[in-house]
Amino acid sequence: MGRRATLTLAVLVLAAVGLLPLAGMLGRSLVVEGRLSLASYEGLLASGRQWTLVRHSFALAAWTTILATAAGLPLGILLGRTDLPLRHVFVLLFSIPLAAPPYVTAVSWLAILGRQGLLATSLGPAVAGWTATQFFGLPGCALVLVATFLPIPMLLAMVHSRTVNPRLEEAGRLVTGWTEVLRRITVPLILPGVLLAATLVFLLSLGEFGVPMYLRYDVFPVESFTQFSAFLNFGAATAAAAPLAVVTFVLLGLEWGLLRREIRHIQPRPEGEAPPQIALGKARRPVFCAVTALGVLLVVLPFAALFIQSASPGVYLEALTRAADSLLRSLTYAALGASLLVLLGGLLGYLIHTRALPFWRGADLMTLLLFAMPGSVLGIGLVSLWNRPGTSFIYATPVIILLGYLAQYTALTSRITVGALAQIPAAMEEAAQVAGAGWWRRMVWIVAPLARQGLMAAWLVAFIFCLRDLGISMLVYPPGRDTLPVRTFTLMANSPAHLIAALCVILIAATLVPLGLLGMIWKRSGGFRGSA
Amino acid sequence: MVDFSLAVEKGERLTILGHSGCGKTTVLRLLAGFVAPDAGTIVLHGERVSAEGKILKDPEERNLGMVFQDLALWPHLTVSSNLEFGLRARGVPRREREERVRGMLQLVQMEDRARARPAELSGGEQQRVALARALVLEPLALLMDEPLSSLNLELNLRLRREIVRLQEELGFTLLYVTHSREEAFEIGTRVLVMEQGRVERIGSAAEIRAGIKELRN
Repeated sequence: MGRRATLTLAVLVLAAVGLLPLAGMLGRSLVVEGRLSLASYEGLLASGRQWTLVRHSFALAAWTTILATAAGLPLGILLGRTDLPLRHVFVLLFSIPLAAPPYVTAVSWLAILGRQGLLATSLGPAVAGWTATQFFGLPGCALVLVATFLPIPMLLAMVHSRTVNPRLEEAGRLVTGWTEVLRRITVPLILPGVLLAATLVFLLSLGEFGVPMYLRYDVFPVESFTQFSAFLNFGAATAAAAPLAVVTFVLLGLEWGLLRREIRHIQPRPEGEAPPQIALGKARRPVFCAVTALGVLLVVLPFAALFIQSASPGVYLEALTRAADSLLRSLTYAALGASLLVLLGGLLGYLIHTRALPFWRGADLMTLLLFAMPGSVLGIGLVSLWNRPGTSFIYATPVIILLGYLAQYTALTSRITVGALAQIPAAMEEAAQVAGAGWWRRMVWIVAPLARQGLMAAWLVAFIFCLRDLGISMLVYPPGRDTLPVRTFTLMANSPAHLIAALCVILIAATLVPLGLLGMIWKRSGGFRGSA
Repeated sequence: MVDFSLAVEKGERLTILGHSGCGKTTVLRLLAGFVAPDAGTIVLHGERVSAEGKILKDPEERNLGMVFQDLALWPHLTVSSNLEFGLRARGVPRREREERVRGMLQLVQMEDRARARPAELSGGEQQRVALARALVLEPLALLMDEPLSSLNLELNLRLRREIVRLQEELGFTLLYVTHSREEAFEIGTRVLVMEQGRVERIGSAAEIRAGIKELRN
C-alpha cells in the first residue's frame, strides 16, 4: 500500500472510530419508539434544573479557564525562558495532576479540607466545616480543575515562547526591558497558542464529570452520565450531552476559523539557535520562592496529604487485594492503547506535517475535536454504535475501550509526531526516495528512527492519558473488565477514606514512572521544539 | 574573537567586512549588549557598558539602533506601531511620538504605508521600515547586520545610496556589517576587514580597496 492509500486509510479509521459513534448517537436520540422525534430534546431547556446545569457548567469551565490560563501563561514563560533554578523539576511537578485522573486531585484536597481532613485536626472542626462546605461546590471543583489543567497553558506557553524568533525580541530589548518585551512582543506572537490552550481547558472542564460528581456539583456531564448509567435513558443522556457537543463544535470552529487566520507571518527561530535566556537577576530568589509556594500549594500539599492518609502497609495490601486485577488491566489496556495511538497518530502527524493529502487540515481538526469532546459523550456514542448482537466481539470485550482511547487521544500523538517531524530535514526522506526506497521503507528505515525520541514521548504521553482515563472507560467497560480509575471511582461511594487514598497513590505511582521517563526524554531532546 | 580592538569616531561610517562565521555579527551583538565579552571591555561614550563576562548596561540603556539581517519587524504591529514601540517605552508623549513617527516615515518615503502590517510590504519597503524604526529613536549609533543581503541587485544598489543619504542628512554613527566588498566600499568611509575573529586590516575605503588590488596583482 502506497503513501496516499495508507494516509487516507488512517483518516478513515479515525472517522469510523470517532465520528461514526457521534453520528450514531445523534441519530439514535432522534428516533423515539421507531419514529423520528425531538422528544428527547424537548425538555432540554424547558425546566429550571436544565438552566441550573447550564449555569453551573459554564461557570465551572469559565473560572477554570481564566485561573489556569492566568497562572499557566507566566509560569510557562518562567519555566521555558528564564534562568529560574530547578526548571525541569518544576515542569514535572506541575504536570503531575494532569497525569492522574482529576478526581484523584479532588480526593487529595478532601484529605486536607474535608471534615476529617488535616485542617480539621490542626485548626479545629469549625474551620474544617467551613472549608468542607466551600469545597463541595464551585470553588472546590474550580480549585481541583485549575490544578489539573494548569499544565496545558503552561506547557503550550513554554513550547511556543521558545519558537519565537529571537531577533524579534532583541529588537525590542534595544529599547525596553524584558517585562515589556514579553508583554508587547512575545505574548502577542504566541497568542494563538495561548488561546488554543484556553479553548482546550474550557472544553475539558466543561466535559469533566468525575470531579463535579464527587464534589456534588450538578453539571451537564454528570446529568448525562446519570441518565445513561442509572436510568438507562439513552435519549435523555444524549440530549444532556448535546449542549457539550455543540459547544465543542462551535468553540473549535471559532478557534480554527478565526485564530488560524490571525496567525501572523512569524519568522520562526533559526535552526540550531537556542532562544535567549532571560536573566531574572535580583528577582530570581523571590520568583523561585513564589513558584515553589505555588507548587507546594497546588501539588505537594494535597498529594502529601493523600500519602499521610494512606500511610500503612496494611492499607496498601488491602487496596492491592481489591484492585490488583484492575491495575493489571489498566496497564495492559494503556500499553496497547498507546501503541495503537502512536501508529494512528504517527500516520496522521505525518499527513499534517507533509500536507500530503488535500484534506490534511480536516484530519487535524478532527483529532482536536475528538480530543476536546467530553469522554462521556464519546462513551455514549460508542455504546450506541456497537451495542448490537452482531458486534458483541467489540462491545463485550476490551476492544471497545481501545476504540475509545483511539477516538479521544489521537490528537496527542499526532501533534507530538508533527513536532518531531519538524526537526527532521525534508532532505533526509528525499535522499532515500532518490535512492529508490518506497514510502514504507522510508518510513521504517529513515523517518521513524530519526523521529524516535518524539515517538517515544508520544507513546508515554498516550500511555499516561489512557491510564488516567475515566470518562470513556466508565461508560464502556465490559462487565468484569474495569480499569483502576473506574474501580477506584466506584469504590469511593462506600469505602473508607484511607483505602481510597491508597488506591489513588497506586494510580499516581503508575503514572509517575512514565512521567519521569518523559522528563528524561524531554531533557535529552532539549524540549521537543515545536511539539505543540 | 581574539585581540579585537576598535575605536569608532562619532558620526563616521564604518563597515566591517568579512566572510560568514568570521565574527562580524558578534561585534554588533557585543556592542548592543546581547552577549558579554569573555574578556576585555566595551566603552560607549566614555562609559564602560560591558566588561569581563558581565553586561554592565542593558541593551535598552545603551541608546543604540539596530537593523537585523532578517529585519525582525514585529509582524503583529503596523508600520507606525513598529516605530512607536521604542518611543512609547521611553515615555515620549503621544503628540511628540506621532510627529516623530510621521517625520521619519516621510524621510524614508513610507508615509502612505503607516497602517500596513510588515507582511503586506515588499522587501524594499520592509528595509525602509526597519531603518526608520532604528532611527526614530535618534540613537548614538546605528548597527546594521547585513541588512541588504536578501535583496536583488537593483534594490540593493538603491538602498545603499539611501543609507548613505540618510547618514549624511542625520549625522548618526554607522557600523555596517557585510560580506560584500562593493557594499563595504560604497557605504563605509572606513573599512575593517575581519578574519577568524581578528582585525585583519583597517583603514579608509580607498586604502583597503588599494590593498586588495595589490594582493591580486
